[in-house]
Amino acid sequence: MAIARLSHLSYWYPGAEEPALRDVSLLLDAGLTLVTGPSGGGKSTLLRILNGLVPHFHGGRIAGVADVDGHDVITTPTRTLARTVGFVFQDPELQTVYDAVDREVAFGLENIALPPREMAARVEEALHAAGAAHLAGRSVRTLSGGERQRVALASALAMRPRLVVLDEPTSQLDAEGASMVLDAVKNLVEQGRAAVIAEHRLDRLLTQTSASLIVERGSVSAAWPAAPSLSATRPMRSSRGPVAWSLAGVTAGFGGRVVLDSIDVAGHQGEVVVLSGPNGGGKTTLLRLIAGAMAPMSGKVERRPGRIAYLPQNPTALLHRPTLRSEVSLTLERAGDSEPPEAILNELGLLAVAGRYPRDLSCGERQRAALAAVLPGRPDLVLLDEPTRGIDAEARVALVRLVSRLRDGGAAVVLATHDPDLRAALADRELSVSGGKVLEATRSSVPA
Amino acid sequence: MNARAVAAWSAACLFIVLFTTNPAYKALVLAAAIASLAAGAGLRRMRGLLTGVVLIAAFATLLNFVSAHLGATVLFELPASIPGVGGPYTLEAFAAGLSGGLTVAAAIVAAAPFSLMLASHDVMDALPAALSRTGAAIAASLNLVPSVSASFLQVSEAQRLRGWRPRGPRSWAEVIVPVVLTSVEGSIQLAESMEARGFGSGPRTALKPSPLRKLDWVLVAASAAAVITFLAAHATGGAADWYAYPALSPPSIDIASLAACLLLFVPVVTWRSRA
Repeated sequence: MAIARLSHLSYWYPGAEEPALRDVSLLLDAGLTLVTGPSGGGKSTLLRILNGLVPHFHGGRIAGVADVDGHDVITTPTRTLARTVGFVFQDPELQTVYDAVDREVAFGLENIALPPREMAARVEEALHAAGAAHLAGRSVRTLSGGERQRVALASALAMRPRLVVLDEPTSQLDAEGASMVLDAVKNLVEQGRAAVIAEHRLDRLLTQTSASLIVERGSVSAAWPAAPSLSATRPMRSSRGPVAWSLAGVTAGFGGRVVLDSIDVAGHQGEVVVLSGPNGGGKTTLLRLIAGAMAPMSGKVERRPGRIAYLPQNPTALLHRPTLRSEVSLTLERAGDSEPPEAILNELGLLAVAGRYPRDLSCGERQRAALAAVLPGRPDLVLLDEPTRGIDAEARVALVRLVSRLRDGGAAVVLATHDPDLRAALADRELSVSGGKVLEATRSSVPA
Repeated sequence: MNARAVAAWSAACLFIVLFTTNPAYKALVLAAAIASLAAGAGLRRMRGLLTGVVLIAAFATLLNFVSAHLGATVLFELPASIPGVGGPYTLEAFAAGLSGGLTVAAAIVAAAPFSLMLASHDVMDALPAALSRTGAAIAASLNLVPSVSASFLQVSEAQRLRGWRPRGPRSWAEVIVPVVLTSVEGSIQLAESMEARGFGSGPRTALKPSPLRKLDWVLVAASAAAVITFLAAHATGGAADWYAYPALSPPSIDIASLAACLLLFVPVVTWRSRA
């Protein structure tokens, strides 16, 4: 029997003329349902229908029928549906209420006034099911992103929901964190639970998937996704130029803690250097040193004069203008570049949303918007911190083409990534940043 | 540690320090608060707090010294024609400012255990059932506070690298607007997450109800005794008020009021055992 049924369902966000979902009809059965599709296509909206956040939390207009485990979603509040549908969001940091892991997992149970003596057993059971039993008693603040998402999954499972919904749960995580979460999801499905997941890292899940939906421009169709391959996009490498940046005997860190210790490294014009290594290893610190955003404790940092394009890990740090087009224009004006903003927007597949407020875009579109905001024109030094977070396969292909073009135009590129496909597609040279050291790495030895 | 016991002690400290005008008692309460916090949280964790408190107290003292040109003991004088700061600078104004600074400092340190020694869920568990939903919302929003300062640093750095330079108050909009919007978006996402986990369904329970233990009761009793003793001493003319003006005089000390203030040192013993 189907767990969820949507029939001729359409939904409009408040003030929107176009529906975010249009005439959607589908049945969700037990097992794992994979939801894919381009950024901004309506995946998150579809998932939020399943626990009633759409329309109860977000407002707007809805038409048609949505039924989950016998509950009419349109008339049942989300707080009631919370007992039936567990939900895991994209950002592990923005779904934490308490600082203690066991309390965090118990939050939902406290809300439904479960007696404390039953609660402890449910918390233990949920942590175990999410593969997070070893995290009990820890402070949430001390957990990695992957561990936090497992705690979020445990928090959803503690309510013993019939359906677990995960909205791109790995989009903010590194490869190790993503593996942690996806392994936990696979275990859930093996235990016989129903799960719906929107995810770009398809290869990890395809063997477990019992159904697949593609959401595009608000329409939903049942089909198996075909991801474009990045390796096919690897362009010819141009010859590298003179040294563009260098660090000599540099030691750097924060609050007396050394993150990078006596490192000597340099990069050239017309070269893509990829930084890999574990979280906390010093990749972002190295990028900030090269950018001149932080001063070293000792040693010397040098870079050739010219424009720096820097993409921070959090793309929302950049976006503040009323439209995406004006966001790009601002960078071009400051750089004194006459290139039209539409050029890079077209290159990154954002022309259709050029007139929209950047913060109204989906997570993946925002990441592309941030790339468009920093990379227009002809930057001399390009520094990208996890540029593929949350973006779909087609956008990654566009990013590879864009970075290759900049590199071939003479820019020195340094990018920190856990994405092995991106590394394979772009790296002229790979540096492993770990334990305070930076080592030249051969591809096979670079940890994801 | 029970948040209700901590609240009782903090309330007693605040009551005495706000009730009395006598700087000797205020200084004692401040000393009790610092000693207790040091026992419970450790001096290292207090460093930032103490620096802030000293600065605020110094500012309060200076403000009164500069603005209140009253009192008999003139230390020096600036021409009256200088707007705002001109006039006599007196020892009495300095002493009155110092007394005010002590009040502010003692109040801040007395409330500090809530942030330095208790987790947000400890505070929530101590709230009456009727306030538990409000408490959960406050606990959640408090968890967002550290992200705001991190966001400010991240945004200003990213904008700087994009060519932004601070040129007057209006230019700061490019940093402030994204920080505010990011914080608001974070709050909305957190609210969405809470709603998805049944927040607002009705009366709540707690995973680990936190009962008052023996040492907590000792602290509650000592705090109550401190307030009652101080009030009684004041009613019988013991805890005399003190006025800096018109001429400075030393504050009088009464044994009962002194004993009341000394009762506020009880956490030095009860919290040390916890630490």
